[in-house]
Amino acid sequence: MKSIILSVLGTAMFSTSIAHAADLTVKVDDIRGNKGKLMLAVYDSAAGWDGKAKPVAARALDAAGDSVMFHFEGLAAGTYAISVMHDENGNGKLDTNFVGMPIEGYGFSNDPKVMRKATFAEASFAVDDKGTAIELHLR
Amino acid sequence: MNRRGFLGQMLVGAGALAFAPIGLRAESLQRNAVTAFARGLEQHRWLAGWKSVGVESFEPCAAEIEGHWPQELTGVLYRNGPAWFERDGVRYQHWFDGDGMLHAWNMGKSGIKHRARMVATPKFKREKRIGRFVVPAAGTTIENAVSIRNNDDANTANTAVMRIGDRVFALWEAGSAFEVDAESLATIGPQTFRNDLTAAPFSAHPLRDRDGSIWNFGSLDLLGSSGLLIWHIGGDGKLTSATTIKDEQRGYLHSFAMTDRHLIFVLKPYRMEEGKAFFERLRFAEDLPCRVAVVAKDAPDSARWFDVDFGMVYHFADAFEQGNEIVVRAARHSSAKAARSPMSAAMQGRADTVDDHVDLVELRIDLGKGRAQWHDSGIGGIEFPTFDPRAMTARQSTIYAPIRTTSAIAPWSNAISAIDLHREKKIVHSYGNLVLAEEHLFVPKPGSDRVGHGWLLGTLLDFKAMRSGLVVLDAEHVDAGPLATAWLPYAFPLGFHGAFASSA
Repeated sequence: MKSIILSVLGTAMFSTSIAHAADLTVKVDDIRGNKGKLMLAVYDSAAGWDGKAKPVAARALDAAGDSVMFHFEGLAAGTYAISVMHDENGNGKLDTNFVGMPIEGYGFSNDPKVMRKATFAEASFAVDDKGTAIELHLR
Repeated sequence: MNRRGFLGQMLVGAGALAFAPIGLRAESLQRNAVTAFARGLEQHRWLAGWKSVGVESFEPCAAEIEGHWPQELTGVLYRNGPAWFERDGVRYQHWFDGDGMLHAWNMGKSGIKHRARMVATPKFKREKRIGRFVVPAAGTTIENAVSIRNNDDANTANTAVMRIGDRVFALWEAGSAFEVDAESLATIGPQTFRNDLTAAPFSAHPLRDRDGSIWNFGSLDLLGSSGLLIWHIGGDGKLTSATTIKDEQRGYLHSFAMTDRHLIFVLKPYRMEEGKAFFERLRFAEDLPCRVAVVAKDAPDSARWFDVDFGMVYHFADAFEQGNEIVVRAARHSSAKAARSPMSAAMQGRADTVDDHVDLVELRIDLGKGRAQWHDSGIGGIEFPTFDPRAMTARQSTIYAPIRTTSAIAPWSNAISAIDLHREKKIVHSYGNLVLAEEHLFVPKPGSDRVGHGWLLGTLLDFKAMRSGLVVLDAEHVDAGPLATAWLPYAFPLGFHGAFASSA
């Protein structure tokens, strides 16, 4: 699992080095329990969102407190969508039960009220070159 | 991040929740319902059975005993039921939506004490914090409901009680059993029997086998899928097996029956309409047969299926095998439409007569000929049937069920009956027309193995004096009336089911 995180984080750092301007702050609320890490990924396309391209940024932070802040610097202004999961047991994935129902926390930008994975369109928001702050809630 | 896993698993879960929130303009209706209920309660005191509790707990309180409580009858009767129906001026429309309150009637040498506590589910804690209903409910549309992680986020733990050893659990039917402290009733949390079965449906009607193990099912239809998860749990509380069976036809199931060799599941066909909450969308398909699954206990991963005419049953009682035939007793509702939302008028503060007659019937399954048929007993007006599980044959068995007499003011049971279907004998004791009678459990007398030799332990709501009570009768002399009744100085809403823990 560690290698997966490192490779994704590596990609994110590489993206950072060539991007311009905008900062993004994401506040993740409604964290249940402080075990494990919050794993957040930022996508700039539906293709990325659907697993056909890498996220433009990804970061894992300790699930400390009720809320955790993520900061991303130097993103290009544009449209992004965020997915986050609370990997409580550190196995690198969102655990589900025998019928595929999530049993760890997860959430999307815009908090779309859907009982499935949100679409890129449902979760997308604009980041402008002055910087953007958003808030989302784990479910 | 293991992105592929994250997406893959999420997609499997897509569309999985049958209780998904869909916003409709229902809130104003529910707000009017609070006023309507309060007004109805002023006119019809019996509606206290459906009044929302206003407190999170009842601290231990001694009951006043009328009559002579049997000295040998010591232990705790745990009971559960929906109790919290209103928040921020909104009232649930469906009885099954109320958050569960767990009650303990402690029968000791120094008398009888009652205490109760709301089950602190994630739903209850969240709505208490926010101050209004925000979680999708089973039978009421909640406007702008939050998105939930899985079924346990909507779990009300409001239907029944299960005991495993010294442990006590509050049961719902579409999610986990919630463990509570047997003494303080403080909530411990959801029970996970195996990690992949986290938040899996665990029905409110587990049955205890003669070896002390527990059988139960979970309806996968409640997750938007179909089929049954069959649970077998050892007397030590550890999972023995969890298997699934599936049929092409969708079917609703609330309880089941078992013989020494078989589990019997009678699935009620239904269709779902668009929008709204689960029970608002559900339409029983009376034009289709019920599908009956007969599952051998030694092979719970497969079923033999039978068709039988449609019949709407929430509660099954006992079952026996006679040669090639399985006989199952059940409380069958005459109106599938009304049964979708029992006592819905009462929930809205109205005193309408309930147009849903409930009959005690037998389902006879001929294993040789592959046929199943309903047989009427001619006895009606009952619900919440219980029995002495020690009976080995239908001939030995008596069904105990609250029953409504013609003098009852409320459209609810006001009496208790002991019914011997084999001898076509029905004995009734009426509590009068100002009392609501609930489930009466059979409790064997200590030191006796004789079938039927025991007490009936039931609960009552006296809506004239506005007090809740616990009643005990001799199961063999129901017509003699209560041996004793223990009354509290307060009343609380009716519940559904209980479990007795003997300390004898």
